[in-house]
Amino acid sequence: MAGIERVGADAWRDRVARGNVAGLHAAIGPDGTPEVRAVLAGETPRLLAVAAPGGVVPTLVDLLPAGWDEREAADLYGLRFEGHDPHRALVHHPDDRDLWATPVVGSDVHTVPVGPVHAGVIESGHFLFHVVGERVLHVDARLFHKHRGLERHAEGRSPEDAGRVLSRVCAGCAVTNAVAYAAATEDALGRVPGEGTRRVRTLLIELERMWNHLNDVSQICAGVGLAPGTMLFATLKERVQRVCALLTGHRFMFDAVTLASAPGDPGDAAREAMRAELAAVAADAATAARGLLFDTSLRDRTSGPGRIDADAVRELGVVGPAARAAGVAADSRTDAPRLWYPGFAAVVPPTPAGDVAARLEARWVELEQAAGIVGELLSAPLRPDAPADTGTGTGHGVGIAESPRGRTVCTVEIRGGTVRRVHLRTGSYANWPAVAVAGTRAILPDFPLVNKSFELCYACVDR
Amino acid sequence: MTGTAAVLGALSVLALAAGPGLAGLVQTAKARLQGRRGADPLQPYRDLRRLWRRSVVDPEGTGAAYRTAPAVIAAVTAAAVLMVPLGADAPRWPFLGADALLVVGLLATARMAGAVSAWDTSAAFGMMGAARDLAYAVSGEALLLGTLLVAALPAGTTDLRGLWAAAAQAETWRTPAHWAGLLAVALVVLVETGRQPIDNPDTHLELTMIHEGPLLEYAGRDLAMLTWVAGARHWIVMGLAAGVFLPHPSGAAAGAVVTVAWLPVLAAATALAESSQAKMRLGRAPRLLASGAVLTLLGAVAWAFGAGL
Repeated sequence: MAGIERVGADAWRDRVARGNVAGLHAAIGPDGTPEVRAVLAGETPRLLAVAAPGGVVPTLVDLLPAGWDEREAADLYGLRFEGHDPHRALVHHPDDRDLWATPVVGSDVHTVPVGPVHAGVIESGHFLFHVVGERVLHVDARLFHKHRGLERHAEGRSPEDAGRVLSRVCAGCAVTNAVAYAAATEDALGRVPGEGTRRVRTLLIELERMWNHLNDVSQICAGVGLAPGTMLFATLKERVQRVCALLTGHRFMFDAVTLASAPGDPGDAAREAMRAELAAVAADAATAARGLLFDTSLRDRTSGPGRIDADAVRELGVVGPAARAAGVAADSRTDAPRLWYPGFAAVVPPTPAGDVAARLEARWVELEQAAGIVGELLSAPLRPDAPADTGTGTGHGVGIAESPRGRTVCTVEIRGGTVRRVHLRTGSYANWPAVAVAGTRAILPDFPLVNKSFELCYACVDR
Repeated sequence: MTGTAAVLGALSVLALAAGPGLAGLVQTAKARLQGRRGADPLQPYRDLRRLWRRSVVDPEGTGAAYRTAPAVIAAVTAAAVLMVPLGADAPRWPFLGADALLVVGLLATARMAGAVSAWDTSAAFGMMGAARDLAYAVSGEALLLGTLLVAALPAGTTDLRGLWAAAAQAETWRTPAHWAGLLAVALVVLVETGRQPIDNPDTHLELTMIHEGPLLEYAGRDLAMLTWVAGARHWIVMGLAAGVFLPHPSGAAAGAVVTVAWLPVLAAATALAESSQAKMRLGRAPRLLASGAVLTLLGAVAWAFGAGL
């Protein structure tokens, strides 16, 4: 059980600085007033909380990449983070540009506002570019256009029902979100899933990674108008999703992982057919990737723009393939006792330059790795634990899982069999601030490509 | 006016309607090449019918430049379509004549009207697209002029009908200048139709747009006119490429048929070029266009030496 430790405002900064913080959020404390909670990642993740007397908490932005977390907590809970000045609105959308964007001045600086309504079918996101000619000086991203209140909607429900709400935060990482939530809830209730369930959850997470990475490669090719790559990888993605549908009954695997259940064995013949099809997809993807590697028209576009180096990764708190593409071999799968990753080691692409090309290569090496894990897990029958009653319990829990976009952290507070507070911080949420930084210094027409090389999810912040 | 001239003139008037079909053919060929079913080549006509019935919306604060631009661009483009050479006996149009340099001027006028309209709206995407279009035009127009120059030198005229007749002569094909022009005109087709690797007509990414940027402000009948213009430009540049640079018989009937028959071939080649490579990074395309212009200069120099000047 993760438990929660409450510290005073004087010790807050000191304690947090010594820990490995994986996200902040606000909640209502036991005395009915708001408090700020930090997740300390590690062998056993823990929660640290500080009360906010009068709604004021010392800021952490000078110590760690918590800018978005604090801005969100300030907007949703009316808190003020002392030292985090000026506070720029994140979830709130004030009309006055100075209240949310960074002021940029200069005689030749033009602003180019893009979105939230786009010329194509894209989720709602507004980007404010400050440019000189075609060169980008600064980008301000304004997301949170469709805040759905899903966390609040999940609160007051049973852990099983709340899981159904949380897994619908986004379709792209539906499994990862469900697994992170299940891990958090089981942590809070003091349960540990059996090996069978851990293997099935790992299988589904890696299947999700496979179709996401194939889709991301397709999208990067679409970003430069390279039709062969776009169509090839879109086809491969569809083939993986069809296997997902066969295995779980849903192409995005909604509700495949719940607290009580996981998909059972499809039978030896069907399982072997799935394994063979996924191995064929992986082989086809490797062949297609070699084709793209030697495509000079693609290489010319991907090499250079959107560079986020290892220092920037640490400074901005970048996670997932984007971090590994800069040579930072951080992966929450290396330490995942609630999943099944024996002997796992994070992989970085051959040239971890941190640019679009490196993020593309990161997808290829991770595809190969995921296909290997999936193949191994499909070689043996799937035997998830028998459905269990979640019962009534009380406690705090933390669940961490590696989504296709990076570390996803879920925290749950359960009291008397009811979810009191649940918070989901996905890999997309962690990486959005880096997209704006990566877009700086690029030329304006390269920004869509830089954005697609991260391929983050808007719905993950609109939760 | 002779009978042949009347027939060729009528054919040119019909060509006004054929441009969108040529663009539709590129789209269909592209879809097939990319493993999609795609729409049939008549889809642009359905789009035009739909747009033509819709009302027009003006952004706040725009003036005459914005309002008149679609009509001006459509008018000068229509004039350029009429001038595309389909035979040596094609009619000499009143007010227009048949001089190749006028086509360059008409295309530049359309470009300018589009840029002024974007300036009138002051919208970011329109200004951005128009600015890029004008930046590309610096080397793009040099390329177009150079291409016509290497055609005009062996033919000894800038009359498009004379250029058409010269391409039908075996002697023309023995000059290196003509071959240099043939290579360069392929680039002209890509840049003037706004195709990859120069521009991507199918993108929804506003920040990457060149020709599509200023179009974002228009709706209804205005957009129908500009969509027709995009199709008609296919006819103009592919028609110039076929009439001035590709081989065809010198007889009036057979020559006109072969010239027109080249157009679907060029459309298919464009689809192939567009489906096989990524769009170039902005700032790199002008260098490609400039190297095309240099190629035409080499052709001109080669002609000068061959002609013993």
